[in-house]
Amino acid sequence: MTGKVFSVILLPTSECNVACDYCFEHKESHRLSSVLVPLLTRRLLDHLEHEAIEECEVYWQGGEAMIMGPAWFVEAGTLMDSAAAARGRHFTHYLQTNLISYSPAWNDVLRTMFGGSLGTSMDYPNVHRRLFKGGAEAYTELWTRRLQEARAAGIEVGVIAVLHQASLDAGPERFYRYFADDLGLNNFQVNTPFPGGPASKVEGGFHLDNDELAKFLAGLFDVWMERGYASGVALGPFDALVHHFTGAPARLPCIWKENCSNQFISVDSKGTVAQCDCWVTSYPESFYGNLFREPDLTRMLHTSPARRDFVDRPKYLVEHEDCLSCRYLSICHGGCPVRTYSALGTMLAKDPYCEVYKAVFGRAEMHALRLLRGRIGFNRTRS
Amino acid sequence: MDQPLVTGFPELFGVPQEVYRFLRYLPTALAEGQGDRPFVALAGNPDELRRWLVEPPGGLQWIEIEGLLDDLEAWAPGTRSTSQAPLDIVLTEPAAEFANLYRLVDVCATRDLRVTIPAAPGFLKAVKLAASLRLPIRLLPGQPTPGVLAELTESLEFYLHGPMVETPVEFFHSLLATACGADRGSLWMILEEDPAGFLRYDREGRPKLPRSGGFGSVEIFAEAFVENRLKSLLEQGAECANCPWQQVCRGYFKWPDPAYSCAGVKRLFSLIEAAADEMKQDLASIEEQPDLIGEDRP
Repeated sequence: MTGKVFSVILLPTSECNVACDYCFEHKESHRLSSVLVPLLTRRLLDHLEHEAIEECEVYWQGGEAMIMGPAWFVEAGTLMDSAAAARGRHFTHYLQTNLISYSPAWNDVLRTMFGGSLGTSMDYPNVHRRLFKGGAEAYTELWTRRLQEARAAGIEVGVIAVLHQASLDAGPERFYRYFADDLGLNNFQVNTPFPGGPASKVEGGFHLDNDELAKFLAGLFDVWMERGYASGVALGPFDALVHHFTGAPARLPCIWKENCSNQFISVDSKGTVAQCDCWVTSYPESFYGNLFREPDLTRMLHTSPARRDFVDRPKYLVEHEDCLSCRYLSICHGGCPVRTYSALGTMLAKDPYCEVYKAVFGRAEMHALRLLRGRIGFNRTRS
Repeated sequence: MDQPLVTGFPELFGVPQEVYRFLRYLPTALAEGQGDRPFVALAGNPDELRRWLVEPPGGLQWIEIEGLLDDLEAWAPGTRSTSQAPLDIVLTEPAAEFANLYRLVDVCATRDLRVTIPAAPGFLKAVKLAASLRLPIRLLPGQPTPGVLAELTESLEFYLHGPMVETPVEFFHSLLATACGADRGSLWMILEEDPAGFLRYDREGRPKLPRSGGFGSVEIFAEAFVENRLKSLLEQGAECANCPWQQVCRGYFKWPDPAYSCAGVKRLFSLIEAAADEMKQDLASIEEQPDLIGEDRP
């Protein structure tokens, strides 16, 4: 085996049970049939075998993944894992859910299939995540209750927060306090927003001023370093950046990979293959093919013209943008293709959050330097 | 010989240095049948690369590849093969080829990789990108022109102070280590151009000298080539006689043209020595500094 890991963002349904304002996904009432899981599994395992890859990480999300029900996951997980074992491979499963339909009925499958953990999302303040009936306030109340129930059952919960204007208005101190103190979380991350969907609808009301966003993130970094870092609170992507700048192994988020096309794909309930969930749910022009109709995933990935654009993007950026002269090229590589595409209508440009990333990288570098200096002093006193 | 035969790259690949005494670089056709005798395979096309990746004989130390960076499909076997054979990717026109280094992202997840970059105009782009992809670099300076010397100086600054540089950039890396007191051998050895340690063969099986046409008796004189060459330079009154870097350079920059002026190269050596002095002072001052606890810790 080569030691490589392949990742699949698997969308068993694009249905959803909530109505968030900024959701870019094209929702359809379609679900992945259990009957097709063996075929899906075979296609993935064939690809792993062709590429001499032993492990495949499967990120289950939607739509809303929990709509499928726990029994469906037990069946799918059992089938996939036994098929993988028979071919000397291994699936590792992760679940991303809005938690709204969580109940104790999920606990067994969460423990056996998902290692006793799940990922969910919440913003602060929550003004855009809504129930179909009851709006944002009811959403927050129900989500918070589900979070408490899951944690009480021993499930580890990581939370993704998407920043919006009200987050910036609330300020980093209050934002951090909500997640770390009010909710008592020790594992959460912040994502930058992007509109998704057709590029012409870019200015859809979720645009943030880059300077303001950079200032917020730098402030949040400072608050976390002061209050959370030493006490074991993981705040992504800041924690990975601190690891990186202090020389520790770091797993940076996909937006900063050398080339995301080498790392993962996304597959929806109809078998559509695209680069990630953002592409598979929003941009038909970027589809690589269909896993159920085409017998060879490896061949699909190698011959897809749409994927070629992803493969060539970093190469294009260092030739045409100013990325090569950037001190942070090694941890950014031009940023996220979908953030670029959704803002500019082309992926052949650097990420519009370039200046925001630089501000965050600079903050990480500064804090890492302080940590390293502190360690020198610490080692001296011990020796 | 009391100095190590090889530094840098073979150490990186974790193979005992003893293996490399008279390591031969062989074109694919000549390398067949080497079996367990140590050699480096020279691959010039996808078929040759695939041949060494799929069925590497015991003696294969690494594969040197030139001219394939633009060929996307050529690298697929490098990502799939379960053999651990390391790859040395040689750029021929670094200024034009540099962006294709992204082709190697998948390959370096599965095996050790190094990029060899000739110091031709525009090579700094390749240095920057290779370093950003965390690929070890072997920079071949040859006899640099003034323009290339300026780029070498900029590359040295990038290697010394670029916060993102995590992997060695040879020859800077070994010269810095030497200036800090380590024994990394001569520049000829550091750059794997000393025929006493590394002997290249052309397609007809004739041994070649580096950066020059081959000659038939190279094998006979291989062990003494560098020292004989230096002796000859000194006898001819070359500037090597009074050069403070003679011990590590051994006339490297006077080959193949003995009339080459080393003024610019000496400035480069001086910069490396100054950086080494700075490092030594920094380390000494850390020893003397008062306790930093509670002062700089966040």
